[in-house]
Amino acid sequence: MRYLDKPIKEINDLLKEKKIKPIDLVNEAFDSIEKNKNLNAYITLNKEEAIKRAKELEDVDADNILFGLPIAVKDNMMTEGLRTTAASGILKDFVPIYDAAVVEKIKEANMIIVGKTNMDEFAMGSSSRTSYFGAPKNPWNNDKISGGSSGGSATTVASGDVLFALGSDTGGSIRQPSSYCGLVGMKPTYGTVSRWGLIAFASSLDQIGPMTKNVYNNALILNLISGHDSRDLTSSKKEKEDYTRLIGKDISGMKVAVPNYFMSDIVSDEVKEKIEDTLKILEKAGVQIDRVDMKYLDNAVNLYQIIAMGEASSNLARFDGIRYGSSVDDTTNIYELYTKTRAKYFGEEVKRRIMVGSYLLSGENAKIYYNKALSIRDDIKKEFDRIFKEYDFVIGPTTVTTAYNLDDPMDDPSKSFMDDVLVIPVNMAGLPGLNIPVGLSKEKMPIGMHIIGNRFEEAKMYQLASFLEKEINFEGGM
Amino acid sequence: MSKYIPTIGIEVHVELKTNTKIFSNSVNGYGQMANSLTNVIDLGYPGTLPTLNEEVINLGIKAATVLNCKIRREMNFDRKNYFYPDNPKNFQITQNATPIGYDGYVEIDDNGEKKKIYIEEMHIEEDTCKSTHRADKTLLDFNRAGVPLIEIVTKPCISTPEEAKLYLEKLKELLFYTDVSDCKMEEGSMRADANISLRKSESDPLGTKVEIKNIGSISNVKLSLEKEMARQEEMLDKGEEFKEQTRRFDSKLNDTVLMRVKETGNDYRYFPEPDIPTVIITDEMINSVKKTIPMLPDERREKYLELGLSEINAKKIVQNRSLSDYFNCLLDSNINHQTGANLLLGDISEYLNKHEKSITDTTLTKERFIELVNKITDKTISSKNLKDILSKVMEETSSIEEIIKSSNISNITDTSKIEEVIDNIISANPESVSDYKNGHDRAIKFLMGQVMKETHGGVNPAIAMSILKDKLDK
Repeated sequence: MRYLDKPIKEINDLLKEKKIKPIDLVNEAFDSIEKNKNLNAYITLNKEEAIKRAKELEDVDADNILFGLPIAVKDNMMTEGLRTTAASGILKDFVPIYDAAVVEKIKEANMIIVGKTNMDEFAMGSSSRTSYFGAPKNPWNNDKISGGSSGGSATTVASGDVLFALGSDTGGSIRQPSSYCGLVGMKPTYGTVSRWGLIAFASSLDQIGPMTKNVYNNALILNLISGHDSRDLTSSKKEKEDYTRLIGKDISGMKVAVPNYFMSDIVSDEVKEKIEDTLKILEKAGVQIDRVDMKYLDNAVNLYQIIAMGEASSNLARFDGIRYGSSVDDTTNIYELYTKTRAKYFGEEVKRRIMVGSYLLSGENAKIYYNKALSIRDDIKKEFDRIFKEYDFVIGPTTVTTAYNLDDPMDDPSKSFMDDVLVIPVNMAGLPGLNIPVGLSKEKMPIGMHIIGNRFEEAKMYQLASFLEKEINFEGGM
Repeated sequence: MSKYIPTIGIEVHVELKTNTKIFSNSVNGYGQMANSLTNVIDLGYPGTLPTLNEEVINLGIKAATVLNCKIRREMNFDRKNYFYPDNPKNFQITQNATPIGYDGYVEIDDNGEKKKIYIEEMHIEEDTCKSTHRADKTLLDFNRAGVPLIEIVTKPCISTPEEAKLYLEKLKELLFYTDVSDCKMEEGSMRADANISLRKSESDPLGTKVEIKNIGSISNVKLSLEKEMARQEEMLDKGEEFKEQTRRFDSKLNDTVLMRVKETGNDYRYFPEPDIPTVIITDEMINSVKKTIPMLPDERREKYLELGLSEINAKKIVQNRSLSDYFNCLLDSNINHQTGANLLLGDISEYLNKHEKSITDTTLTKERFIELVNKITDKTISSKNLKDILSKVMEETSSIEEIIKSSNISNITDTSKIEEVIDNIISANPESVSDYKNGHDRAIKFLMGQVMKETHGGVNPAIAMSILKDKLDK
C-alpha cells in the first residue's frame, strides 16, 4: 500500500516521526502521474523543483498536517517560475514572475506543487476539451470527459496521483468535474479565497476551491487557502475558522430544501433516482426534507452567460501580444498585432465568448443586458436568502447526467452551459456549493449530490457531507 | 465684435499628489528611469487585481468640496474598454455612471465681473502609460500607468477664450492650494482639452463641435481657442461645412492642426468594475477631509486687501503659496502689513529666488520677521541697510536688533553722527549749496549723494534728507 493511500493523519505521523520523508510522497505522486500520463491531467509538471523542495524539507519539522504533501494546482493560478498557461495558446510559454495568494499559502505550509493541471482554455467550457493542450480523460472511463473547466484537477485526484488539487469555479467548474469524477469539490462563498493571482474569467463569479477524495482533506485545504487578503478587494474580512470542526457531528434536525426545478425533467432518471435514495438516507438520519419552488433558478444560465461573457471580454483584453504572452511578429501596425495575435492564439470557444461578451456590453446593450442581469442576480440572491431563513441547505444533483463521451459533438455552444444548469445559480448568488459523490450509474460512472449552503456556512456543509460519506462509503467503491 | 457666439467647454485632467498609485502600491513619481515605478498591477499582468488607494478618495472629496460639487455617497468604478498600447489592461478603470463629484462651479473674476463656471462632473480614474515614438518603434513607459487622475468637466457655459483662461487659472490655484495636485502643465500633471462651437445667435442650436486636445499651457488654451474661433468663423462666413473633429494646438505653427475627424460614436462598453466593490462616502470622511482644507486663495486675497495691501501685492502673495502661508501667520500681528508685504515680495523674494529656497527653509521666524518689519517701519533700517544685513537675517538666528548692532548700522541712525557728516559736506560744497538756494533742486540730490557716499550708504536716507533740508533751509 502506498503512503499516499493512507489516511492523512497517519501520513502526518509518519512524517513527524521521520519514518518517511516528503520525497517518498513526491516519488509516489510522480510514479502515479507517469503511470496515468495518458489521462493528460497536466499541462506542466514541476518534477525537478518538487524533488528539490522535498529534499529541502527533510531538515524541516512537520509542523502542520499538510506538511510535505504533494498538491496539484489548476493552470490558471500564477506560480512564480513555473509555466502558467490557462490552457491557452496565448500563454503557452508564459512563466509568471509572482505567486497567486493560494500558491503562497501552499508554499508557506511546505506543501509541494507537483504540476499545473489541464483545464478548459481560460476556464471557458465544461469538458476541458477547449484546452490548447488537448482534453484530460476521466479515470473511471477513459472514453469519458472528466468535466470542466477544472478537468485536469479532477482527473489527477480521482486517479490517485495526489490527495488534493485546486480548482476554480465560475459556473460550476469545481463541482461539475468533481461530480463526473467522484470527488468532493467545494466552491466556497465568494470572497472566502483570495483571487490574487487567479487569471480572471468572470471576476464577480470566480472562486478557488479544493478538490479531494474525502471531506476531511477538503476542509483542511480550505483551512489553508481561505482568509482575508488585502490585495483582493472582494476578499471577505471574516475571521479564519476551522472548517473541519463540525465533521462527524450529528445532523439530525437539519432542514433541507429540494427545489422542484433541480429534480425536474432536465435531470436524467438515473441521477434523480440516486439523489432520491440519498435524500432517504438523510431523512432516516432525522433530516427534514421539503420540496420547494424557487424562482429564477431557470434564468440563472442566461444571466450567467451575460455576466460571465461580458466580464470575460474585458478581462481577456489584456492579452494583446505586447507585454507578455504569445505574439505574432509579421505585422505592420498595432491593430494588426492585436487582431492577428488574438485570432491566432485564442481558441474558438474563447473567441466566441469574447465576441458575444463584447456585443452584450456594446452601446445600449450594457443597459439592456448586463445591468439588467445584475439586478436579476440580486433577485436570485434574495430568493436563496428567503429559503435559507427556513432551511440549512438547498440540495439537488450536481449534474443532469453522468460524464459523457469525449467524442460527443461540440457543435452546440449552449450545451456546455446547460451542463452547468444546476450549479450556476450558486455562483450567481455568491453561495458555497459542494459536490459529494453518492453512488455510481449503471455504467459505473460517479453521480454527485450538490449541497448548497448559506454564505460562509462551509463548515456545516462539510458536516452534512461527512455524514453521507460515512453512510455511503463511496471512496471504497472505486 | 464677432458675429458668432462661441460655446466653450473645458475638460481638465489633473494628476493627484499621492504617494502611491491609485490601484497599486507603486510610487507615484515623475522623472524617474522608465518603467522603474511599476509592478505587476501597473503592467496589467494576468491574475492581478486593483486595490484602492484611500488617499485618492480623500483628494477626490477635497477637490469636489473646493469645486462646490455635490459628493456622490455611493460610488462605483467602471471599466472603459478600448485597445491602445498605452492602456495595459486594454481597459481603463474610471467612473462613468457614478462620478465622485457633480453639479459644482468655480467663480471667476473677469475684469471685476464675477461669473460662475459650472462643473458638470468630476471623476476619478487611472492615467495611461507614456508612449514615445522613435522612428518605426513605440517605447512604453509604465511609470505613469495607474497614476491617479481626476477629470473635471465643465458645462458648455464658457463664453470667451479669456473666460477659459480665467477658469483654468482659478482651477489650478484651487487644486494647488489644497494639495490635490501640483498642477504642472509642463510635466503633464495638469492637462486641458477644450471644446468649442460657434453659432450666430443664442436661439440657434449649438454649432459643430471641435475638440482641441492636450493643450500644453493655460495661455495656449486661450490662444488656441482664439485661433480656432477665427478658423471656424472664416469657414462659416464662406458657408463651408465641417465635421465634428479633434484638433491639437501646434505652438510652433501658432494654430490648431487636425488630428482626426470624429467617427460615429465611440463604444467604450462601460460596465461596473467587478474587482472594486461600491465605495461608501460617509459624513465622517467628508468632515475629516474638510478639516484639512486650508484658507482658499479668494479668502486670502480678500483678507490681504482688508489689511491695506495693494491689489497687485495681494495677488502676488497668493501666487506664491509658501509666502502666502507665511504671511497668513502674521495676519493678527501688530505690524504694518503693507511694509511686510513689500518686504516679502521684494528683498526677501529676491533672496529666496537667488538661493532657491523656500521661506520656511530660512531662519526668518515669525518673531524675527515682525521685528524686522517694525525696524523698517520706524526707519531704524533703510532699504540699503536691509540689503547689507539680509543674508544674516535669513541665515542667522540672532535678533534683528543684534544684527543691526553688529553690522555698525546703529551709529548711523544716531542723528548727531549724521549731522556731523552733513555739516562737513555742506562746508565742502559751497557751490551746490548756493545752487540749491537759487532753486536748483538737482543740487540737493548731489549733496545727498555725497552723504550716502561718505557713509557708504549706511545712513537712513529719509532721516538724512530731512536733516540736510533743515540745514540748507536755515
